Amino acid sequence: MIKEEDHFRAPLTDTFRRKSPFTQLLDHMCKVEEGISLLGDGLIKYYKGDYKGFSDLAKKVSNIEHEADLIKSNIRNHLPSSLLMPVDKGRFLWTLREQDAILDHAENLSEMLDMRHTKIPKELQQLFIDHVKQVMETVCTMEKAVQNIRDLVDTGFVKREREQTKEYIHKVHDSEWKADQIRYKITRGIYKLEKKLDPMDVYHLIKIADWVDEIADHAENVADWLRSMIAK
Amino acid sequence: MIDTVWLVIGAASAIAFYMAWSIGANDVSNSMSTAVGAKAITHKQAVIIAGVLVFLGAVLVGPHVSETIKSEIIKVDSIQPNILILGFISALLAAAIWSTLSTWKEMPISTTHSIIGALMGFGIIAGGIGSVNWLKIGSVAASWILSPVFGCIIAFFVFKIIVKLIFAKEEPVGAAKIVGPVIIGITGFLVSSSLLFKTSLSKNFNISDLEGLLISLAVAVIVSIIGIFLLRKIQAKKEEDYFTVENIFRKLQIATSCYVAFSIGANDVANAIGPVAGIIPLAENGTLSSTTSIPFQLLVLGGIGIAVGAMTWGKRVMKTVGERITNLTNTRGFSVDFGAATTVLVASRLGMPISTSHTVVGAVIGVGLARGLEAIDLRIIKKIVISWVLTLPIAAATSVGIFLLLKMIFI
Repeated sequence: MIKEEDHFRAPLTDTFRRKSPFTQLLDHMCKVEEGISLLGDGLIKYYKGDYKGFSDLAKKVSNIEHEADLIKSNIRNHLPSSLLMPVDKGRFLWTLREQDAILDHAENLSEMLDMRHTKIPKELQQLFIDHVKQVMETVCTMEKAVQNIRDLVDTGFVKREREQTKEYIHKVHDSEWKADQIRYKITRGIYKLEKKLDPMDVYHLIKIADWVDEIADHAENVADWLRSMIAK
Repeated sequence: MIDTVWLVIGAASAIAFYMAWSIGANDVSNSMSTAVGAKAITHKQAVIIAGVLVFLGAVLVGPHVSETIKSEIIKVDSIQPNILILGFISALLAAAIWSTLSTWKEMPISTTHSIIGALMGFGIIAGGIGSVNWLKIGSVAASWILSPVFGCIIAFFVFKIIVKLIFAKEEPVGAAKIVGPVIIGITGFLVSSSLLFKTSLSKNFNISDLEGLLISLAVAVIVSIIGIFLLRKIQAKKEEDYFTVENIFRKLQIATSCYVAFSIGANDVANAIGPVAGIIPLAENGTLSSTTSIPFQLLVLGGIGIAVGAMTWGKRVMKTVGERITNLTNTRGFSVDFGAATTVLVASRLGMPISTSHTVVGAVIGVGLARGLEAIDLRIIKKIVISWVLTLPIAAATSVGIFLLLKMIFI
């Protein structure tokens, strides 16, 4: 807008922000969604031994992470202490931080996997694929929980919407627990095959499972902070 | 002699028109901005609504506050009539200039505060500290703190009611179709009772308080039924259709916008015509009696002035405002409008000159406290409060300057 046109008294309008922090949080989540679905599909191909295009994918994920970072710092830079929000600002920022951590780990994972293409043993392939699917589901459920914040804000935090969000949060916990169980199976499987495998492969396989699982852990953290954010 | 009288009255009226114009450009546009910002009405519609209803409010409820501005701020009997005329004119001019200047500079001041500050400044210089009615100033100043607080409380509860009775229900859209019109009915009740309780209108038509109450109740019921009738066709698209709820309130906000414009007319017209109402009897027979009523022509002049202000500069203010507010939804805008307009209207009926912009700010905070707004920048609120405090001394000083200048020229 041209400054000249602003020479009219409109103090009230300045009390409203052009973009609400909640909308920005959801914008940030869209980046998470984009990055994780890209990475998830890429990982399944990777597990099946198809490394073609994985470098491109790693670059894409890295770009998305960078875009999300910009959104994140924009939110952080525009939350002065004088801003009155319907939720605790600290908890809001922790939710954002954990949401951002998901993409940080996704970026890290894709870069690390691209550095060394480790072949997944035939016996463990299905488990690895199940694991990444479970982690993706955890993130998806978390996304639904966060998306419900729109309804919460729109309705002025009514009980029904709060219950809905809580339900999603429970589902995130369940989903994360299932992902953990699969990871234990994977780790057990890797130890069973340790004699057959190259030690470096063992190290990397265990690391891959760890890194993928961390994404689910952070999705769970988002849900936890969300829960405390919307508490009465 | 007659010529001078008319010259004085003419000059005063011209300045009053200028003051009314700046009120229209500022207060009206600011207060209508929530409706424009929530896209309930376009700025063109806002200008039309403001023009018509500000005028009606000014003419029908305006006199109450005018009395206060006219003769209760300064103890008029201790000052010579000639000086008093000059004083009123300079106060009016000072307030108008200050309002225009701050409009230009985007400073959130209140026209009500300027006129009272200006009168105060003149009173001190012309008749000493003792000639200012400090008790009255005190009560007016108290209302400046109380009015945002009341605006805040009413808006808080209106929004809470909307949440409890609409959003928390299983079928929010169905609930909104009933609750919304009922609140509009309450609006109708408040407006018509403000018109019928102990006003010249009720005297002319011989309406007793009880009849006034009954008529107002009837108006409320009729308005509610019309509202329910107009909204009957709206259907929820899905179970949690908050969008349709907002759409219903978008329609209802047209009604609250009228309410806001009406209340502002009732309250703010006095800022422009109060001093002139004091000047006319002074110029004609040299005395100021607090019993003479406000001439009807003056109210019309003030009403037209505000309407013109809203149509000229106000149009641009509202256009800018409409582009700036993006996250104000209709239910919130409705609550803000209702809280502010009710406070302003009740205060006008009690003869208390209050600041409309600050009441609106109070109402915005009220909705925010009810967890209704996604983010409110309190820094702006602080800025408003500072300008609020500054307005009195600045308007007073300007008024003193103009007064001394006029005194040098004419006396």
